Amino acid sequence: MTAHLDIDGLSVTFRDHDEERPLLEDVSLSLTRGEILGLVGESGSGKSLLCRTVIGLMPSRKLYVTGGSVRLDGTEILGRDMGAIRGRRIGMIFQNPTSHLDPVMTIGNQIREGLSRHKGLDDRTAKAEAIALLTQVGFPDPPRAFASYAHQFSGGMRQRAMIAVALACDPEILIADEPTTALDVTVQAQILRLLMELRDRRGLSIILITHDLGVVAQTCDRIAVMRHGKVVETGEKRALLADPQHPYTSELIASHPSMPHPEDTVTAHPHDRSPVFEIDDLDVSFPVGGGFLTGKREVRAVKGVSLRIWPGETVGIVGESGSGKSTLARAMLGLTRVSAGEITFDGKVLTKERDKTLRALRSDAAMVFQDPFNSLNPRLTIGQTLAEVLKTQGETPPDQIPARIGDLLDLVGLDRGFARRRPRSLSGGQCQRAGIARALAVNPRVIIADECVAALDVTIQAQIVDLFRDLTARTGLTLVFIAHDLAIVRNLCERVIVMHHGEVVEDGPSARVFHRPERPYTAALIAAIPDINPDRPLNGGQPLTRQEYAT
Amino acid sequence: MRRYRFVLFRPFQFIPVLFGISIITFILVRLIPGDPARILLGTRATPTAIANIRAQYGLDEPMWVQYLYFLKNLAAGEMGKSTLYKIDTLKLIVTRIEPTLALVVAGVVLALVIAVPFAAISARRQGTAADHAIRIVSTAGIGFPSFWLGAMLIILFAVRLDWLPVSGYGNSLGDKLLHLILPGLTIALSLSAVIARSLRAGMIAGLSSDVAVAARARGMPESVVFWRHVVPNALVPTVNLLAVNIGWLIGGTVVVESVFAVPGLGQLMVRGIFSRDYMVVQGVALTFAVATVLINFLADIVTVALDPRVEL
Repeated sequence: MTAHLDIDGLSVTFRDHDEERPLLEDVSLSLTRGEILGLVGESGSGKSLLCRTVIGLMPSRKLYVTGGSVRLDGTEILGRDMGAIRGRRIGMIFQNPTSHLDPVMTIGNQIREGLSRHKGLDDRTAKAEAIALLTQVGFPDPPRAFASYAHQFSGGMRQRAMIAVALACDPEILIADEPTTALDVTVQAQILRLLMELRDRRGLSIILITHDLGVVAQTCDRIAVMRHGKVVETGEKRALLADPQHPYTSELIASHPSMPHPEDTVTAHPHDRSPVFEIDDLDVSFPVGGGFLTGKREVRAVKGVSLRIWPGETVGIVGESGSGKSTLARAMLGLTRVSAGEITFDGKVLTKERDKTLRALRSDAAMVFQDPFNSLNPRLTIGQTLAEVLKTQGETPPDQIPARIGDLLDLVGLDRGFARRRPRSLSGGQCQRAGIARALAVNPRVIIADECVAALDVTIQAQIVDLFRDLTARTGLTLVFIAHDLAIVRNLCERVIVMHHGEVVEDGPSARVFHRPERPYTAALIAAIPDINPDRPLNGGQPLTRQEYAT
Repeated sequence: MRRYRFVLFRPFQFIPVLFGISIITFILVRLIPGDPARILLGTRATPTAIANIRAQYGLDEPMWVQYLYFLKNLAAGEMGKSTLYKIDTLKLIVTRIEPTLALVVAGVVLALVIAVPFAAISARRQGTAADHAIRIVSTAGIGFPSFWLGAMLIILFAVRLDWLPVSGYGNSLGDKLLHLILPGLTIALSLSAVIARSLRAGMIAGLSSDVAVAARARGMPESVVFWRHVVPNALVPTVNLLAVNIGWLIGGTVVVESVFAVPGLGQLMVRGIFSRDYMVVQGVALTFAVATVLINFLADIVTVALDPRVEL
């Protein structure tokens, strides 16, 4: 039997004037009918480019195919007219449904567009078919979804809508480019299950691009690992995960957060000293909407949260988007107005002695942000950024600042030469290290890190997590680590706080919470993490919750 | 429908805005040096005659009393008697509103007729000779002052070629339309340049947007990608730009109406200023202000209709 899609020796080069850089080198892959092939690699490995090349939609005019062939059912398609192939034979869904769905066209009309183009259906038939498709991808009220716009749905429902739009063209092969990366774990589990279900029902062949080996282990039949524009290893899922041949594959598997870390059982810190943070019955509300003659509504982002954070502790705050975890962090640092309740930092009550507590917070607490690039000033070198903080803080004598900058860079594992470089010339992981160095510059007792590894590749994530583990062990730092990724928190933190709809649903030692969760919500959240072991199946994805179908 | 609720409430906001505008124009008009009575009667008028005229038009009263008179008249549907035309200003404005309105509409329609295809061509053939040519023409369109452009159009199409009337407004509908072409074109040439540039930028961004990539990946031909997905998204910001420019335009018809001798509000305004006809100047200014407010209101409605995400 010939392969459904056969990529053979494909090479793509970036060419601009004299500059020439190979982006894909001699890539060979084949997709069997009805199989799910996982294409794994980190950002820049060329996995998206490969798929874009296959459907003839290369992202730049400076890219050239320099060799190889792509055969669909044995027929060469590379460089052919793709009009009849795109959508109709090879469909594609993308990571960000918000930007890929047309914001000013109803979901229904976007589905109908494909139906009338590729199947020649008239408007009435197309509408009926579109509603059937919306049912198939799991919309609870398909006629309503038909007439709705993308912005009226949550991220998970948008991804379902994009799948429906792609299916409208009735493709044989579906290329899914990081379809669940932007989603919460429970929603991710639902979408992955939907993809598997569609494969079974429609006989689709799927190429699933992802950076998460757990996703691949749970959904795919075969895995191809890409790095630096080359396929380093291909093989059947179980064989490849159990016995990786290429060192890079081993590294990827080792850095996957679902693997228990050797130092997993971090000893809990004694709660004998007075807590660093004491939060009592905290409420944070935001006014929403409100205009001339129309009333304002309030959204309670944090509802009656009480917790203590003890010196030297590493606390993870986890929750899905909208759970209020970032708002809680901002409130702790005095960056958001508190509606009710009390925050005490180091014995000073933020809500009462605001100025005094803020002064203490600014010198003793620091924040590390999610986006490493945009939270550094692009015009300043890393050295200047650090010097600025040190000068403002005023504790380091001016003549010792350069030495202190060197120490800080050592501490975060950056070469001292980085002091002279600007953020633009740094990779994401290096930027995040610089961001951590900036946070450490004030010699803080507490660091609050808000989703600080979410934008990084897995191997880099693992390095940053190691860095934090090392720092807390060496300096006695208190770390509040906010993340939606439970697996990372489990590896790093001794204590976990689970948030849901602005409330703390569970608070306890990591080992206990992850092994014997007390609350069903926590259990569902943990079950939805795609495990790298294919035999521990994906268990999450409860039926649609009300916030899933939000209009 | 909820998104259109502002259509009911927004007009209430116009009340304070229009009050403010009326006070400002009222004061500004009276800051213009010169005495309407003196200008009306000429240089040889006797002081008693001047005093009579001033009393007759209420010009001897303090300014705030004059303003209250103005408001009282307005409530009765009058804007005060024009010193120059000897009839009520509101009646005067009503007779002059049609040519100006027709001129603005002609200008905007012609501008869109020019701008949309130009923007589409230069966006889809970015960097080609066609794109450069359109950019040069656009820049020239912004650069030429309308009084000069109008005069050149008259020389070419009315004097040399004798295709179109030199100036005036005409009586029958067909005649009026014929008279509107050249002044409308004068407005359109500069307006279309501004619109075309904004549209082009929006279209270029749209052509490389994720929405376009996704549409291409579904096998949509380039024309469908462009007209069905790129253009509707590019129109949204252009609507507001258009509204701002129409606001400018209404004031700007003063020049074009003078060049083409169109008997509209702009011309009335110019006459009013030269003869210190306070009633006419403040009446026309207020009309322009109301028109600007209404156009922005209209632009908001169109924006809400074009973009389902917008809530006002």
